[in-house]
Amino acid sequence: MSYFNISKEIEDIKKTLNNCVDFSSRIFIREKQQIGMIFLKSMIDQQLLSNAIFMPLQTFDGKFDFDLLQSNIIKCADVKTIKKEEMILNILEGKVILITNFSRKILSIDLLKFPTRTPSEPPTSPVLQGPREGFVEDLQTNITLLRRRIKSEKLVMEVVRVGSQTQTKVCISYIKGIASQKVIEKVKDKLSKIKIDGVVDSYNILSFLEERPNSLFKQIGNQEKPDVVVAKMLEGKVALIVDNSPIILTIPFLFMEDLQNSNDYYTNHHYSSMVRIIRLLGLLLAIIAPGFYLSLQIYHYNILPLNFLVTIADTTQGLPFTPFLEILFIFLLFQILYEVSLRLPSYLGLATSVVGALILGDTGVKAGLISPPGVIIVALSKIALYTIPEQSAQITVLQLVFLFIGGSLGLVGLTSGAIYIINYLNTLDSFGTPYLAPYAPRISSDLKDGLIVKSIQRMNSRPKSFNPEKKERS
Amino acid sequence: MKQSINIRQVGILLIMTIFANKILLMPSLLFSEVKADGIFVVAVLFLLEILTLPVFIILKEHYPNESLYEILSKKIGIILTKIIYILLIVFFFLKVLLVFSVTYVYFKQQIYKDEMIWIALISFLPVINHAVISGIRPLSRTMEIFFAVVLVGFIACLSFSLFTRINIPYMFLSTPKSFFDSIYRHFFAFGDIFFLFLIMDRIEIKKGQSKTLYKYAIIGMILVLILYFLYYSKYQVTSFMHNNALADILVFSVQFNAIGRLDIIAMITIMMITLFQMEIFSYAFSDCFMKIFPKLNTVYSVIVFDIIFCLIYYVFIGKYEIMIKTTLEYFPFLAIIINIVLPIVFLIFALLKRRENEKTD
Repeated sequence: MSYFNISKEIEDIKKTLNNCVDFSSRIFIREKQQIGMIFLKSMIDQQLLSNAIFMPLQTFDGKFDFDLLQSNIIKCADVKTIKKEEMILNILEGKVILITNFSRKILSIDLLKFPTRTPSEPPTSPVLQGPREGFVEDLQTNITLLRRRIKSEKLVMEVVRVGSQTQTKVCISYIKGIASQKVIEKVKDKLSKIKIDGVVDSYNILSFLEERPNSLFKQIGNQEKPDVVVAKMLEGKVALIVDNSPIILTIPFLFMEDLQNSNDYYTNHHYSSMVRIIRLLGLLLAIIAPGFYLSLQIYHYNILPLNFLVTIADTTQGLPFTPFLEILFIFLLFQILYEVSLRLPSYLGLATSVVGALILGDTGVKAGLISPPGVIIVALSKIALYTIPEQSAQITVLQLVFLFIGGSLGLVGLTSGAIYIINYLNTLDSFGTPYLAPYAPRISSDLKDGLIVKSIQRMNSRPKSFNPEKKERS
Repeated sequence: MKQSINIRQVGILLIMTIFANKILLMPSLLFSEVKADGIFVVAVLFLLEILTLPVFIILKEHYPNESLYEILSKKIGIILTKIIYILLIVFFFLKVLLVFSVTYVYFKQQIYKDEMIWIALISFLPVINHAVISGIRPLSRTMEIFFAVVLVGFIACLSFSLFTRINIPYMFLSTPKSFFDSIYRHFFAFGDIFFLFLIMDRIEIKKGQSKTLYKYAIIGMILVLILYFLYYSKYQVTSFMHNNALADILVFSVQFNAIGRLDIIAMITIMMITLFQMEIFSYAFSDCFMKIFPKLNTVYSVIVFDIIFCLIYYVFIGKYEIMIKTTLEYFPFLAIIINIVLPIVFLIFALLKRRENEKTD
């Protein structure tokens, strides 16, 4: 009795895959028994195919039996039976499909191989001390990087598929008994509701997961280093590993996390505290400095010390622009230079810096178009912005907003603006965690990893902010 | 789902309301009436104000999850409750108006020399509206973030004022009549604790936590009393001429010329305190508004608030003295109803409820 018409099945699959150029098939015939192999040659390890499937089939002496085929003949670790409707997806995932005319069952053999990058230090998160490994684009490698660090049976890795066309694998990773069950359920629920044709990077699913997708502020964490992700999972967070993306998403996310850095945990905690305070000051300076300078120059010059006032008056005398336009001009100049330097090849970067910083800046001051204090203030705020590089996009927008507020409403406007922003941040919520925790609301036990960092021995409980199932770290 | 706030946040709300409109114009107004005995007027008013706190705690104990509106509706009927809520709307609206006027005048004198009411309106109204729409939880969390800044700013103003020589002011110069008149006239600036009754169903008080409320209230009151004392000590007989107590106590201090104008500390502190007070009072306005018109949401209450606020300001523009005088002359009775009569009624309700519970047991 024949179960599959091998030639017809192969032809049907070929048609379904639109006769694609890397489609490959082969029929192995012995007496009346036929075994058909279907695969995409661009996705598999051909050497392994030859050694693990072809050679054993050819050298086998006897009558084929499906169970024998699955357990003894195929020399490959990952062999499983699948349903007929799963065939196409398995082929597309780099598996070899075996169909026979003596069984209804279908075998899927994992021989996936494609070029991958080896884990290296991510360019966005360099460290002075501590692990230098970074995630890569391959899901399996990323899972390995996490597993290597968490040798626990409680580490859960569940895969779901997102994207009607790309069928991208998204791995939900968490430590059972630590991560909040509510958060896990909510993440699964949100992932199941995503309606999108393709996911090419983890950023594509970000806005589907955020509670307020139109917000300026990010509500989901993103990490490129396995040691950081493991530390976050140990705190009770859920990690989302998206296939083809080196960026791992962590949920829930707090604003405070961007003030933290992996370096903080590999160095003296007193020094880490100081650095975190400096980062916060840098953040405030980056957002408020241009607007504050403008408000002083336009409205509140009488509160400046006399010497400082005279210096500003001397340097701004005779400028063709109003103070507001001057600062806006310098701000835009810096932003254009920044965008150019990002997109230009590295060998042109130096030339841009020379033209931008020296010629435009220096000549601008000498020509009397812009003032040195204006350049210093904008430059200072632009440098300070990179104390928290993860928030640089948001801070740039806020810089511009506060520039307008400072120029039009003065100090009163700036204070109101700051209160407005903080109030807005307090309305944000990341999977049930208040965005500004542990400061608003104040959660005393979580403050040990706040602006002031306590020693690792004292961090003996998990942050309450994330509602972990198990509070104590033991 | 109801947004709830914890005891620390309630304490911070309390301190902000206690500072209220007592730190700028009031010290000089009081001095012009009763000289340095203004400190005692404030102390007496604080005493009356803090008596509301145990009433609130008792009522909360007996009605842990019910709102004031629900309690009143059950006890005195919907019509009377709505009348009380209309009075509350007027009370809190006038409070915002008073705080806004005093702050506006301060900033106009200090920074914006020209008539720039639009700057004040654009700076304040959107922030207040946003806070009201966001709800009590974000509002109190925001205050939690800025609380340290406000407290440090306030204490810094008090401390820096000590860098200049001060003399203990002459006291006990006022007559009993002017003293009690003054208490009556300035009653309107007090009694902000009543706000807690409005949000009582959104407050989480665990057993033994009520002490925290007294702690915060007493800290706020002591700081205000110290401000009055330092202010009268510094300016003595010319105290009536200085309209911005918290900022003016910094002027002429020794540090003044060494590191530039210190009053920027006062400016930022005043700005934050007054903005938070306006947010609290506007929230109270909105809460009462929605109880009276349950079918309308917060956005409507904010729109109504803004329209009335801008209209009144348009009518009274440049006549803030009249506005303040009118409020102090004609509205103390309203403050007395709200801060004395109503808490007594609430206390009776709480005691009746206690007896009811005892009978059931």
